[in-house]
Amino acid sequence: MTIVETQGLSKTFRAGVFKKGQIEALRDVSLSVEAGEIFGLLGPNGAGKTTFVKILLSISHPTIGVARVFGHKLGALSIRQKSGYLPENHRYPQFLTGLQTLLLFGNLHGLKGPILKGKAQSLLQRVGLKDWMNIKIKRYSKGMLQRLGMAQALLNDPELLFLDEPTDGVDPVGRKEIRDVLKGLKARGATIFLNSHLLSEVELICDRVAILNKGQVLRVGTISEITAPQLEYEIQLESAISERLSETIRSIVREAHANDRVLRVAVPDKHVLNHVLDAIRKEGILIESVVPRRASLEDYFIKVLQSGEGT
Amino acid sequence: MKGVAMIVVTIREAILRGTLIFYFAVGNIIVAFVAFAIKASPDGSAVLVFGNPIPAKSLMGISPVDFLLIQLQRSSTSAIMFLGIFAVAGLIPSMLEKGTAELYLSKPLSRTSLFLSRSFGATIAIALNILYFALVIWTLFGIKLGVWHSGFLLSCLMVAIAFAFYFSVVAFTSLLTRSQGFAIMLGFVFWFLSSALETREYGIYKLWDNQVYHRILDILYYATPQISGMLENATRLIGRNPFDRMLGPQATADFTIMPFVYSLLSASAIYALAARYFSKQDY
Repeated sequence: MTIVETQGLSKTFRAGVFKKGQIEALRDVSLSVEAGEIFGLLGPNGAGKTTFVKILLSISHPTIGVARVFGHKLGALSIRQKSGYLPENHRYPQFLTGLQTLLLFGNLHGLKGPILKGKAQSLLQRVGLKDWMNIKIKRYSKGMLQRLGMAQALLNDPELLFLDEPTDGVDPVGRKEIRDVLKGLKARGATIFLNSHLLSEVELICDRVAILNKGQVLRVGTISEITAPQLEYEIQLESAISERLSETIRSIVREAHANDRVLRVAVPDKHVLNHVLDAIRKEGILIESVVPRRASLEDYFIKVLQSGEGT
Repeated sequence: MKGVAMIVVTIREAILRGTLIFYFAVGNIIVAFVAFAIKASPDGSAVLVFGNPIPAKSLMGISPVDFLLIQLQRSSTSAIMFLGIFAVAGLIPSMLEKGTAELYLSKPLSRTSLFLSRSFGATIAIALNILYFALVIWTLFGIKLGVWHSGFLLSCLMVAIAFAFYFSVVAFTSLLTRSQGFAIMLGFVFWFLSSALETREYGIYKLWDNQVYHRILDILYYATPQISGMLENATRLIGRNPFDRMLGPQATADFTIMPFVYSLLSASAIYALAARYFSKQDY
């Protein structure tokens, strides 16, 4: 079942004193997110990730394009009723305590009474703020505010959770706790939409990701698809590679990088790899190891952005 | 329920910002001053202010109690309005700050409900102060002078309503500019504009003898809340206003509900326009 579906979504902001300038925050974005998956939207700062989420929650409006969330058109209150949202750089009323903050936002979700209070206390305990619940949030650290934001986003037991840079400012232990909370939510069937530029975090928890740059979707796929082993190998040699051998190898394969005793090659098939190995042996250099190289999400991300797509 | 939660948090924010506390404190200083200044003469036949009777010439034919209440209401109304705007003008911009707007707008509450409940919260905060002030003054006059003047209470209720209509202009400006400073400045400009429009026939009409200009002023008068007219009429609920002659030779001294009706319509239109504008904005 598709939870989020967008087709040709674009957003242009007007800028400047007389609003004559135009900034294209999103360009023809078509994406879908299935029920129960953790979907990561990756991109550098200013790629349009936050704008995309804001449009889905009707905080901003699209310039053109169509989107449906839970099958409803954008703007339907039922979308927000069933969603939780942790915005980036959120600011809560400073005069409230952590508990009061959750009671206020719970009220705005239509929750009330002892049920809300119990829920708020239990969530504060879950995010490690139990001892701070009656302290005004102006005393909270950035990491604590992020945890409070997480609790706020979970108040209504959302079926769809939007998280915008959820681990920003959180220490490694806190990050692990947030990941555990997200895995728990996934286990109970919730769909999670995660915006992040912290690729290692995304790699750990997301089922599928999309890469967004300058408002355009460049790639969509599962983590394993994206980081699948390619025909790239790292060859460890016993001695340094000579200039002559380097030239010989470059005549066999187009992509080859030699660094002292390490040679990295990208080959079209294993026959070509063996030609490379034969050339090395012919020079009398002993081969210590040949290791297939799996690209990390970060490698892939940087490669996609450097390819200049989306410009 | 969701709107009520927003109203409650708005009032709370107004209190915790400190401006509403200051507003409350000023009201209490006025109350203390009145309590100290007025008393009945020992035989109960006259009202004494700082121990002296009010000269008959000053009374201009109205009772001393009416005179004192009218004076008090007229002199405190400007403070009520100005300080009230200072106290609550920041509430809408604070809701629209980056990082806060996203939190409120992501909740299952329509933008119209959100904006109106925030505005009502702000006006209720001030109205409660005005009504507290009115009740204490009313009780003081009752206990010290033996006059329980219901017209004064009604008059203060009208002042509170006038504030709600006045706030429509400030709320809309807050939405447009997202700035507390601009909202306060425009609130003050509108205060003086309202006063000038109320007496336009004897004042700003004469700046330019042109029918189009006069009609524009008329349209402005009816299209915006008639704050000055409402306050003048609120005073008339206490008694015959000896200052009505300042409005001009043809000015009526009778209470009329029409400024409230026109203001209700124009403030409703402004709130509706503001809600429409709010619903179209990106945050």
